[in-house]
Amino acid sequence: MTEKNIIRLQGIEKRFGQFVAVSNLDLDLREGEFFSLLGPSGCGKTTALRMIAGFQEPTAGKVIIDGQDMEGIPANKRPTNMVFQSYAIFPHLNVGNNVAYGLRNRGISKSEIDTRVSEALEMVELGGLQSRGATELSGGQRQRVALARALVMRPKVLLLDEPLSALDKKLREQMQFEMRHLQQELGITFVMVTHDQYEAMTMSDRIGVMFEGRLVQVDAPPTLYAKPCNREIASFIGEMNFLPAELTAEKGDTLTISTPCFCAMTIEKNPNVEQTGRAIEIGIRPEQLEISAQEPDGYDGTVQGTVRDVAFYGENVHYHVQVDGVARPISASVPNYFHTVDYRPGDAVWLGVQSASVIDLGQNQSNT
Amino acid sequence: MRSDAAKGLTLSAPATLYVGFLVAAPLAILVAYSLWTQTYVSVDRTLTLANYKEAFTDPLVRHLMIRSVLIAGAVTIVTVALAYPIAYFIALKAERKTLWLLLITIPFWSSYLLRVFAWKLILGFNGVLNSALLGVGMISEPLTFLLYNEFAVVLTLAHAWAPFAILPIYVSLQKIDPSLLEAATDLGNSAVQRFLRVTLPLTIPGIIAACLIIFIPTVGDYVTPSLVGGSDGKMIANLIQVQFGAANNWPLGATLSLLAMMSVGFVAILFVLSASGLGRRIR
Amino acid sequence: MTRPSGLALYAFLYLVFLYLPVLFLPLFSFNSGTIVAFPIKGWTLEWYRQLGGQETLIQALVNSLLVGLVAALLATSMGLFAARAYVRYRFRGKEASEGLVMLPLVIPGIIVASSMLVLFISIGIKPSLTAVMLGHTFLALPFSVSIMKSAFDDFDASLEEAAFDLGSGVVETFRRVTLPIVAPGIVASLLVTFTVSFDEFVLAFFLSGNQPTLPVYIWSQIRFPAKLPNTLALGSLLLLASVALLVVAEYFRRRSAKSTI
Repeated sequence: MTEKNIIRLQGIEKRFGQFVAVSNLDLDLREGEFFSLLGPSGCGKTTALRMIAGFQEPTAGKVIIDGQDMEGIPANKRPTNMVFQSYAIFPHLNVGNNVAYGLRNRGISKSEIDTRVSEALEMVELGGLQSRGATELSGGQRQRVALARALVMRPKVLLLDEPLSALDKKLREQMQFEMRHLQQELGITFVMVTHDQYEAMTMSDRIGVMFEGRLVQVDAPPTLYAKPCNREIASFIGEMNFLPAELTAEKGDTLTISTPCFCAMTIEKNPNVEQTGRAIEIGIRPEQLEISAQEPDGYDGTVQGTVRDVAFYGENVHYHVQVDGVARPISASVPNYFHTVDYRPGDAVWLGVQSASVIDLGQNQSNT
Repeated sequence: MRSDAAKGLTLSAPATLYVGFLVAAPLAILVAYSLWTQTYVSVDRTLTLANYKEAFTDPLVRHLMIRSVLIAGAVTIVTVALAYPIAYFIALKAERKTLWLLLITIPFWSSYLLRVFAWKLILGFNGVLNSALLGVGMISEPLTFLLYNEFAVVLTLAHAWAPFAILPIYVSLQKIDPSLLEAATDLGNSAVQRFLRVTLPLTIPGIIAACLIIFIPTVGDYVTPSLVGGSDGKMIANLIQVQFGAANNWPLGATLSLLAMMSVGFVAILFVLSASGLGRRIR
Repeated sequence: MTRPSGLALYAFLYLVFLYLPVLFLPLFSFNSGTIVAFPIKGWTLEWYRQLGGQETLIQALVNSLLVGLVAALLATSMGLFAARAYVRYRFRGKEASEGLVMLPLVIPGIIVASSMLVLFISIGIKPSLTAVMLGHTFLALPFSVSIMKSAFDDFDASLEEAAFDLGSGVVETFRRVTLPIVAPGIVASLLVTFTVSFDEFVLAFFLSGNQPTLPVYIWSQIRFPAKLPNTLALGSLLLLASVALLVVAEYFRRRSAKSTI
């Protein structure tokens, strides 16, 4: 991955009548990175992708690809190619002709087309299936043909619109890794749109999270998970316990806080959020909480509570613990080491947390 | 890139303009003609309501108009009543739906003229039916009430329009969520109650569509009354044709066309209103 | 059918009612007697043989083929574009336009025929094959629009975007992607609209002047009892042609539905 920018979106905006689908979006994409646009449905991520592809013109702002302003350049003249959500495999053409479709628009010799098509099919592990009919393909095969058809064009940027949403769970997980490997081997920039946070986190170098037409945060997955810039992202990505806290002192990069349940703690300041005033909110991931029958040693904060519900997920167990002074039960997740469920509803337990695991979410915006 | 709206308008323009022109322009000219009068060899273009006066006072016109509407009404009722069970059977009971639908629609693609002609041959005095019945000894002399009357017209048209009645009803039956029927049974309906209180009301749009599709063209049917109607079965279309043909009185013909269209519209609107009102009253 | 029910029996009888009258035409067209009544005297192909020598009949057939061809081409091309607009785009007046093009289905034949006659005379088109072609295009348009609409209905819009994305221009995309995929629908529409025109009588009766189409010719023959056997033979051939066309059209229509999975 180089530091060169391949795509620059400058304040792009898309309106449909009164409705603003994408508002004032600025984004730089680096050459060779796997970038995901993540957000709930209707957040504008697909519209943003389609503006890069050229299927929609922004109502304001600029799309710059490889240093060239794309204004007025239609989709068929842009150095991008797309994998469609429905895959859009041409039903009247066989696999080979589907993959060759774009190359034939470029006046490339027949022998070279054949070579590149078979290379592309080898690459997606469909070698030798050129003459297979488009309607005889399985879901996974259709996805691979769609990938091969776009990649054979050697685009500067490959755009993927929910590329895995039509596949079942097992296949989806397998394809996540395959696409990641493919992207790393080819070194082409991938821009993927998805609503699935796990998909985005497992595949991407960086993720841009969108809500209601706005790009809210752009970061690498671990940063996004550890330093979400607001409550919305914190709850959209992974699970989070939200707790009110009072800011008692601020010193350099650290905050000293007191909470109604855990004792006073000194935590790292989150540069992505703003603190104005003393009432702030903190977040703790369920897997960062220790649960035990006696008060645990060596934790920065501990609190006693009562188990309300137990949810067994297989790979781990979630305990919902009611703590005095906190409205909603606190969720703690424990890896299923020994195939046992240690606590039952009604049991009195202790929760422990390290201050390093406590996430500063800034000014308290919740109503609870 | 041009906007979608502009593309849609451009692409649909030829069809819209073509149909629009061929509906609006003849209508305007018909209206104009209906206000002119036929003199011996030419058309007098002074505006007058004489044709309308003639149409309203001539007992033959009134008689044919009423008969056309009544015959069309009878055809509609008979056709829909005969077709409903078939639509029901195909939509809810039959296993090979597409085959049945194909079988129902094939006869429609044979020439309408020939189907009417076939009935003329079947119902005639020396026709297929009489000769067959005589042959097996069920009757001793040919039946004369078969051809050249309203009965023959209704029978022939009911046969001709069958697929048009079946398809809309089939579609509305097909749309019914099976769980609605299960719910009716679950709430204590017998099969008959369930049909009357759930199935039938839900298919009223299909029934209305079927009725309109049959009623409207039937009022203006020309071929069937000409071939199997005899003098008792003549309808308004026959009179209109005479005005444009042998009588060479286009202004009167235009007037009759317009009046026929208006009566069709009037009866159709009345029907739709009362049918949907009836549908709402079922509880 | 899981068990023979009253409803199934009724359905069977209904089919008999639907088919039997039409089947009498071919049956009696092979009858060597000249009266259409039982018992059948004997079997002959004479009536069919005689058709070949009738020049007015051949001319009427040529007229019908010509009218059908032109009407099918005109109606299908207008239907193709209109259906695409209805399925793919949203625009002002779309519902009104969709309703309007279906209107020819429900206007009584005599009114269409008489009003078109008046219009064509007024704008200087004499009753002729041209007038019939224009009229049949009008009548066939609703059929073409509905067939083409179902052909476009399942056509995934992203297929065209994919072609565009892979470097094709508008014309290229239409030729290499859109056209091949909706081709079965186009063929079905051509066949159906041709059949509509080929079988149509009332409008042709009013508008054809001294150039009769086949149904108008048959109409003129029905009045002569002496010509009855020939008319039966001709009618039977016409029935066969219509049903054959329909079966082929149905095949293409299904292919167009299936190919877009």
